[in-house]
Amino acid sequence: MPPPKTPSNRIRSRSEAKTPLTPSIISGLSNVSLAASPTKKSSRAGGGGGGLKSTPSNTTANPFLTTTQASRSRPSSRAASPQPVGVIRKGGVESRLDVITRDYVPPPKQELKRSRSTPATNRVGIDHRDRFITHRESNTDLAQLASTLDHLSLSSTSNPTSTTSTTNTSTTTSQPTTTQASPGHTARLAAATGLPINRRILGYHEQPPLPSSSHDLTLAQQREYAKPLYAQRPGALPSSTGTTTSKARKIPTQPERVLDAPGMVDDFYLNLLSWSCQNAVAVALETATYVWKADTGTVAQLGEGAPEGSYVSSVDFSNDGAFLGIGLSTGEVELWDTESGQKLRSMTGHNGQVAVLSWNQHILSSGCADGSIWHHDVRVARHKVMELLGHGGEVCGLRWRQDGELLASGGNDNVINIWDGRIGDVGGDARGSAKWTKRNHTAAVKALAWCPWQPSLLASGGGTNDSTINIWNSTTGARLHTLRTPSQITSLHFSPHRKELLSTHGYPTNSIMIHAYPSMERVAEIRDAHESRVLFSCVGPAGDVVCTGAGDENLKFWRVWEVSGEGGATVGKRRGVKGVGVEEGGGRVNSTREGILSIR
Amino acid sequence: MASRQAKRQAITLKGSCALVTEFFKYAVNTILFQREVYPSDDFHMVKKYGQTVLVTQDLALENYLERTGAKYVMLYLYHQAAHDASQTEWLLTGSVTQLVLAIISKDTRTPLERWVFDIKLVEPPADGSGSKEPKPEAEIQSEIRAILKQIISMVTYLPVIQEPTVFNILAYTSESADVPAGEWVDTDPLAIEASKSQQVKMRSFSTDVHRIEAMVAYRYEE
Repeated sequence: MPPPKTPSNRIRSRSEAKTPLTPSIISGLSNVSLAASPTKKSSRAGGGGGGLKSTPSNTTANPFLTTTQASRSRPSSRAASPQPVGVIRKGGVESRLDVITRDYVPPPKQELKRSRSTPATNRVGIDHRDRFITHRESNTDLAQLASTLDHLSLSSTSNPTSTTSTTNTSTTTSQPTTTQASPGHTARLAAATGLPINRRILGYHEQPPLPSSSHDLTLAQQREYAKPLYAQRPGALPSSTGTTTSKARKIPTQPERVLDAPGMVDDFYLNLLSWSCQNAVAVALETATYVWKADTGTVAQLGEGAPEGSYVSSVDFSNDGAFLGIGLSTGEVELWDTESGQKLRSMTGHNGQVAVLSWNQHILSSGCADGSIWHHDVRVARHKVMELLGHGGEVCGLRWRQDGELLASGGNDNVINIWDGRIGDVGGDARGSAKWTKRNHTAAVKALAWCPWQPSLLASGGGTNDSTINIWNSTTGARLHTLRTPSQITSLHFSPHRKELLSTHGYPTNSIMIHAYPSMERVAEIRDAHESRVLFSCVGPAGDVVCTGAGDENLKFWRVWEVSGEGGATVGKRRGVKGVGVEEGGGRVNSTREGILSIR
Repeated sequence: MASRQAKRQAITLKGSCALVTEFFKYAVNTILFQREVYPSDDFHMVKKYGQTVLVTQDLALENYLERTGAKYVMLYLYHQAAHDASQTEWLLTGSVTQLVLAIISKDTRTPLERWVFDIKLVEPPADGSGSKEPKPEAEIQSEIRAILKQIISMVTYLPVIQEPTVFNILAYTSESADVPAGEWVDTDPLAIEASKSQQVKMRSFSTDVHRIEAMVAYRYEE
C-alpha cells in the first residue's frame, strides 16, 4: 500500500493556507472529514485497496490514528496507549491558550467501522463539537486533536464511573459497537478539563447547607424589614424605562408652596390632613388642630386643642366642608363647625385611639385601634348607629365611596374590608358585615382610594413589608392590577380629571409617584418630596394640587395635575392665594414663612 | 544529600498545602459572596493577604467548607505529596488534580457556573540541582491577591444570575485515590453544555510545590 502521505499533506497545506484567526480547528476537522470522504478516496487510485476497517485510518493518514487502530483491538488497556495521556496533557490545549475552548465538548461520534461513508458524515458532525479561537495552534495539534477525540471515544469503554448527563446525542449511531459506556461523556470531560481519562469526579456526600437565615425566622424577618434600606432608588427600578416613554410627563418637582407644620406627628397610622371642598386645609399638630384657608391664607386654631395627655389622631372634613371631624387618641370623636370654629359635639364610646375618620353625608365613620369601625350619625343623640367588626388590628385606612354605597377599610392586620354602606333605621347595636375581605397585602393597609370616574375601582396600598398597590373591582371582588413599588405606600389618590393614580411613599424614596391607571406605568415621580417619609396627602377641591404632610414638619403643595379651562373657579381661588401671601415662583417664599409663623 | 533535601521539601510541602488550602477557603468564600449564592449579610470582612476578604459567618456553611474544601483536600494533598517526596521523585499525577466550585440553579439544578482550580505539582528541576531559590511568601501572596481580585472583577461581566442558586464542590482525583468511603462519592461533573458555555482563564499562582490555575466557565445563551 502506498504511504498515505497525500491527504496528510493536503490537510496541512490547507490549514496553513488559512489565516491564523480562522477557526482553524473546525476547518482542520472538516478537512479531515473531507479527506475521509469516499469521493476523495476514489480519486486516489491506490488508497482504496485496503479493507473497510483500515480505510478510514488510511485516508486520514494520521500517524496517531494508527495508534487508534492499535488500541481499538484492546480498548481497555490504557497503559498500552500513551498517546491520549500525552495529548491530553498537552491539552492543556486550552490551558495554553488565552481564549479557551468550551467547557464541555459534546460527545464525539463513535467511530463506526462499517462503511466508508459513515465516518465521513460523523466527522461532519464533529464540526459542531467545539469552537476554538486560536492562533497558536499548529496543524499537527489539529490533527492530533482530531485523532485524540476519535481515539478517546473508543478507548473510554473501560470507565465505569462516568455518569449520564444531558447531552445532545442526536447522532445516528445506531451501529452496535463495543463502546457502550457513554464514551462521548468521558471524552468530553477529558477534552474539557485536560485530565487523563481515568479520573474520578468526587463530590462531598452532603449537600451544602442552605443559608442559615432560611431556618432562622427572626433573621429572615429582620432581613425583610431591612430590605427597604437596600432598596434601589426608583430610577434603578426595572420598570424605570416606562418613565421615558411617551407616557412620561413633566410635573413640577418643586412644591408650589411650603407651610411649616411644627409638631406634626410622624406616625404612619394616623391621618392628620384633610382638604375640604371649601378650600380649607385642616392639619392636626399634636394636640391642636389648625385650619388653613387656602383662599385667604389665614390660619385658625380650632378650640384649645385636645385635653392634656392626648393628641389628635385623625381629622376629616365633611363632604360639604362645613364640618370637621376630629378623632382623638382617647377614643373621642369631636365635631366642629369650620366656619365659626365652635365645637358642636363630642362623641364618645371608642376604647382606643381613633386613627381614621371618613364622612358620608351625615354619617361619620371612625376606625379605632381595637379594630372596630363605628358609624356615628352626627344628627342624633345616640350617635352610634352601627358597628363594623372585621379587623383584628388597628383600623388605619377608611374611605367612603363618593356615592356612599360602599365603605372600604384597611387595618394593621393587613386586611382590606369592603362594607355595604347601607345603614337604614337600625339601632346602635347593629352589626354590618363585610362584602369583601381581601388578605393579599402583607403589611398594614393605610392607603385607600376610590376611583372618581369608575366607581367600582378601589386602590389599596400596603406598608413597608408589602409596598404593593392593588386595584380591586369592588363589584366582582377581583384584583385587577398589582404594582410593586420601592417603598411603603402611605396614601393613594385617583386624579379626578385624568386616568392617573397618585401614591405617596415612605423611606427610602420619600417620593410622590403618579401612575397611569390601566397600564400602571409610572408617569412621573417626585423623589425626596419630603425629608422624611411622606405620611399624609390630600387632593385639593379642583383636583390639581396635592397637599402632602410628613414627619419633617412641612406641608407641601404640589401642582401635579394641570387642569385647563373648566377648573377656572378654583384656579381663580389659587390666584387669590398667591395674591394674599405668596410671591410667584414655587418653593419656599418669605411670605410662606409668615404663613408658617401664623400657623401656630 | 538526597534525604536532607527530601526533608526540606517535606517541610515546605506542608506549608504549601496549608497555603493552597487557605487560598481555597478564601476563594470559595469570595465566589459565594460575589455570586450571591448566600445572602450578602452573612459575610463579614476579614483582613487577609493584605486586602479585605469577605468570609461567611454562617456556621453551617463554615463547617461545610471546612469539611469539604479545606481540611480534607489539604490532608489529601499533603499525604500524597509527602508520599511522593519520600521517594524523592515527583509524580505528575496528584491525587487531587482539580477542584471545581459549581454554581447550580436551586430549582432546575442546571449548572450555571463552574469555577475550576487546577492543582498541579511543580516539578523540581530535572537536573537535580534542587538549589532553586524558594519563592518568597510575599510573592505568593501577591499572586493570590491577584486571583481574588480577579474573581471580584469577574462580576462585572459574568451574566447576572436571577434565580436562587446553590453550590457544589467537586474534587477530581485519580482513580487510584484512596477516598474515605461514605464521605466523597462519585458524582456528575455538572458540566455546562458546550454550545451554551463560555470560559475565561484566570490568573494562577504557585508555591514551591503546587501550582494553582484558575478558570471559570459560565452558561451564556444569546
